[in-house]
Amino acid sequence: MSAGVVDIGYVELFAASALMLVAGIVSYKLELGQTRRIAVSVVRCFVQLLAAGFVLEYLFAWQTWWLVLLALVFMISAATQIATSRVKSEVKGLIPAVFVSLFVSSVAVGLIVVEGVIHADPWYNARQLVPIAGMIIGNAMSAIAVAIDRLFSDLDSRSDEMFTLVALGATAREAAFPSIKAAIAAGMTPVLATMSAAGIVTIPGMMSGQLLAGADPLAAAKYQIVVMLMLSAANTIAIVMACFLTYRKRFAADGYYLDKGIRE
Amino acid sequence: MTLFRAEGLTVSFSRAGERAVLFENAALSLEEAAVYDLVGPSGSGKSTLLRACARMIERDGGALYLNGAPSDAVALTKWRRQVCLVPQKPSLVSGTVRDNLVLPWTLKVHAGERPPSDSELANLLDRAALGDVELGRDVSQLSGGQLARVALLRAFATKPPVLLLDEVDAALDPDSARAIGRLTRLLVGESMTCLRIRHRAADGFAAGTFELKDGALSYRENPSQAAIGGSAPGRTGSARQSAPVAAGREGGLR
Repeated sequence: MSAGVVDIGYVELFAASALMLVAGIVSYKLELGQTRRIAVSVVRCFVQLLAAGFVLEYLFAWQTWWLVLLALVFMISAATQIATSRVKSEVKGLIPAVFVSLFVSSVAVGLIVVEGVIHADPWYNARQLVPIAGMIIGNAMSAIAVAIDRLFSDLDSRSDEMFTLVALGATAREAAFPSIKAAIAAGMTPVLATMSAAGIVTIPGMMSGQLLAGADPLAAAKYQIVVMLMLSAANTIAIVMACFLTYRKRFAADGYYLDKGIRE
Repeated sequence: MTLFRAEGLTVSFSRAGERAVLFENAALSLEEAAVYDLVGPSGSGKSTLLRACARMIERDGGALYLNGAPSDAVALTKWRRQVCLVPQKPSLVSGTVRDNLVLPWTLKVHAGERPPSDSELANLLDRAALGDVELGRDVSQLSGGQLARVALLRAFATKPPVLLLDEVDAALDPDSARAIGRLTRLLVGESMTCLRIRHRAADGFAAGTFELKDGALSYRENPSQAAIGGSAPGRTGSARQSAPVAAGREGGLR
């Protein structure tokens, strides 16, 4: 097996976009109304990934700790926006809590892996830190979106029960706790399911990338195991933080549940 | 002896950008060992008045006293443990009758207190004519009347000095509603007081009736219960409504 990445020419790259014609034709024939969305997605995929390629090329060449930090903050900001937009319930003021949850989980776990497992040099080496942080942030973003969506739909469906609990003397946290537990469990489910299926049903993204780049399969598997454990830890930190930082949005300062009728 | 007193209670809320006063300067006084009715048209703010007494809604003004001590001196959860509001819907948690009856003792506010034993709970069920309901029975197997009584017993079991009942008999047939009234009167005993919202005809268990109408709270003693007592410093209860509003459970507030 030859080592190194097979570079794809721009002609082949644009030719590959013809594959999206399948989705376009299906949408057109079945009148799904998705044609425009498919076109926009293809363009976004091209622009965003090529832009990321250029930015990373610059970042790898000119890396300083503050440039790497800036890149991480940008990624986390985008993830925060996407995660909060996926929450179906109307909840104001989620953004700061989600940002902090993503920042703490991705930076803490990312640094532990880069410094403690991969032994990157320097510790802020963008070639290792950025892709690893990207994986963590992307996964944590989805987990937070699932958890917060579940948290608020559960809180709203338990409004009568929480009213009773508060009337019996419960604190807001005690009243909300069953919903917090359900939300954390829901947020943890996807990564645990992926871990169970890894290697049997799917070859996960990072391992696939390394295999395509010509890496030794066992080395790629070890790398992937670390990634899975890292994602699980970061997701847990992110969703626990996000749930505990946001559930109070449905409670008044005096600890009672704010029904829809009395929310400002 | 006066157990609970409210003075100058005012609650307003915003609707379509304007502040609307639901009731203003409402005052009431509840004597121990007595049951009181709170009546009034739908949307007059009865449920909100109970919430204000339990400190479960923002007040624009007014003071609350329990045994003469002002509410500000008492932590919120402790206040609600002593001035306990039972909502209209008998919201029980999934599990058994026992799980629900001892639920309050899973809360921090009861930390260090011994939950009632099975025999004490069985005795409580007996008094509520629920002797045939086992403690281990799943609450999903209870009828509407039984659910309402278990929810009421759960609040009674904590022995709050003040019990606020928000139309707990609304969804029940007349016989079950009367059973709830009798149970309330029986359990209030000598050291508690109870204010209950009712839409039904008087059942003879209340010492007096407060009426909330057009933002004004008035009081009348029930002749048949005059011996039980019930003073009415709240009969002044001057109030006005700055705009036609509807709130309370009927209007979206609880």
